[in-house]
Amino acid sequence: MNIIKILAGTAGIAILASFGAPAPASADKLEDLRAQGFARVAIANEPPFTAVGADGKVSGAAPDVAREIFKRLGVADIVASISEYGAMIPGLQAGRHDAVTAGLFMKPERCEAVAYSEPVLCDAEAFLLKKGNPKGFVSYADIANDPTGTIGAPGGGTEEKLALEAGVPRDRVIVVPDGQSGLKMLQDGRIDAYSLPVLSINDLVKKANDPNLEVVAPVKGAPVYCDGAAFKKGDEALRDAYDVELAKLKKSGEFAKIIEPYGFSAAAAMSTSREKLCTAAK
Amino acid sequence: MEWDWNFVWQILPTLVEGVKITILATLLGSVLAAVVGMGIALARRSPNKFLSRPVGFLAEFIRGTPLLVQLYFIFFVLPDAGITLAPLVAGVIGLGLHYGTYTAEVYRAGIDNVPRGQWEAAKACNLSAPQTWTRIILPQALPPMIPALANYFIAMFKETPLLSAITVLELMNQAKSVANSSYRYIEPITLVGVFFLVISIPSVIFLRQLERRYSGRPGR
Repeated sequence: MNIIKILAGTAGIAILASFGAPAPASADKLEDLRAQGFARVAIANEPPFTAVGADGKVSGAAPDVAREIFKRLGVADIVASISEYGAMIPGLQAGRHDAVTAGLFMKPERCEAVAYSEPVLCDAEAFLLKKGNPKGFVSYADIANDPTGTIGAPGGGTEEKLALEAGVPRDRVIVVPDGQSGLKMLQDGRIDAYSLPVLSINDLVKKANDPNLEVVAPVKGAPVYCDGAAFKKGDEALRDAYDVELAKLKKSGEFAKIIEPYGFSAAAAMSTSREKLCTAAK
Repeated sequence: MEWDWNFVWQILPTLVEGVKITILATLLGSVLAAVVGMGIALARRSPNKFLSRPVGFLAEFIRGTPLLVQLYFIFFVLPDAGITLAPLVAGVIGLGLHYGTYTAEVYRAGIDNVPRGQWEAAKACNLSAPQTWTRIILPQALPPMIPALANYFIAMFKETPLLSAITVLELMNQAKSVANSSYRYIEPITLVGVFFLVISIPSVIFLRQLERRYSGRPGR
């Protein structure tokens, strides 16, 4: 009886300890990453923000910037895992990723959940529609006002939230797993509009090569958002080190060299700041 | 990582919406599976080889491939052939067809269990084939099948989260969308599990009663 009690007690303590002190080595996260040789980042496979090639190679503007900065911080490489937008922040909090570099736009409620770096990639929102825009959608509110209008957006992405905030009911905001499905659902007439950032939509349209599609960009009333590398709350030291290197990159012009081939504007990211974006009116 | 009751009450109405769709999909899927299974079972028994062989092959094919793949096919590939189904309809068809191939085996076993003498007696009484089936064979074959069929329907109920892959806004998908905007998984996903338990445990108890009532007394 006593032995069982003792065993149960120690097991309990062990469980508590494993909950209470997640990775005691996180005192210096950067040192851990250096020793480990790589940083785990979350991406979304939404070109040109993030892309995984047919050969499995990770590219896209956000991971490219992250790879360069981590290299300068002494972390040799990044290892990316594809995740849904909505699952990135919980994954970060659960310690599954060291950073999110995926075009996860800064919004005040996200800033409360994670520690963002300074802005990296900025883009406006766009709609992909059938040719001629039969329902005349130019803003999220238009979709809300059309009782049969449906919109596709990535789950947990900024576009899903913008549509819901504009008053589109939940059952008309279709969560689409990836760009290819969204394109297909639009072509099949399952959704009236598919919403992603402008550059992602353009990339998708180029690949689809379908003359029956049309792009509305930018969406009226939706602001330009910027993403940053997102770190877990408590990893601010790592975030600050990241910011220092990011600022150097921006200053030297290498930042523009990395992101502008993807179509992003370096000037846009440099003209704003985390503080501005995180305190923007909801 | 702590449990937040306020959050639970806040998300409960959203999840209940999802539960409704989950139950609806299960009920419709069960009806379809029951009908499809009967069709397959009868077709496979047909003396006509041009009917029984292809149906048999098709049933083996459907049973041998994953439900998720079938759902993707029905939802994303069929539109290329001009058949565009609403997500829930596609989901119900997927569940119904997939489980129909399993219930067909239950029917087969049930029918095979009717003693040969019954067939011969029906023939001796000069009953037509439809009469033999509806008056003699099925009334004896169906009751012992009920627990086994109900078992498959409970299994189907637990497979409905797969429908979230084809954008059906059922329980799992609602929970994911809640987690997507709240960054919390513990409450929504726990509640999904609780909902499934709350429904499946009474179903299992009901199933036990069915078993007690119908099993062990074949061919009265």
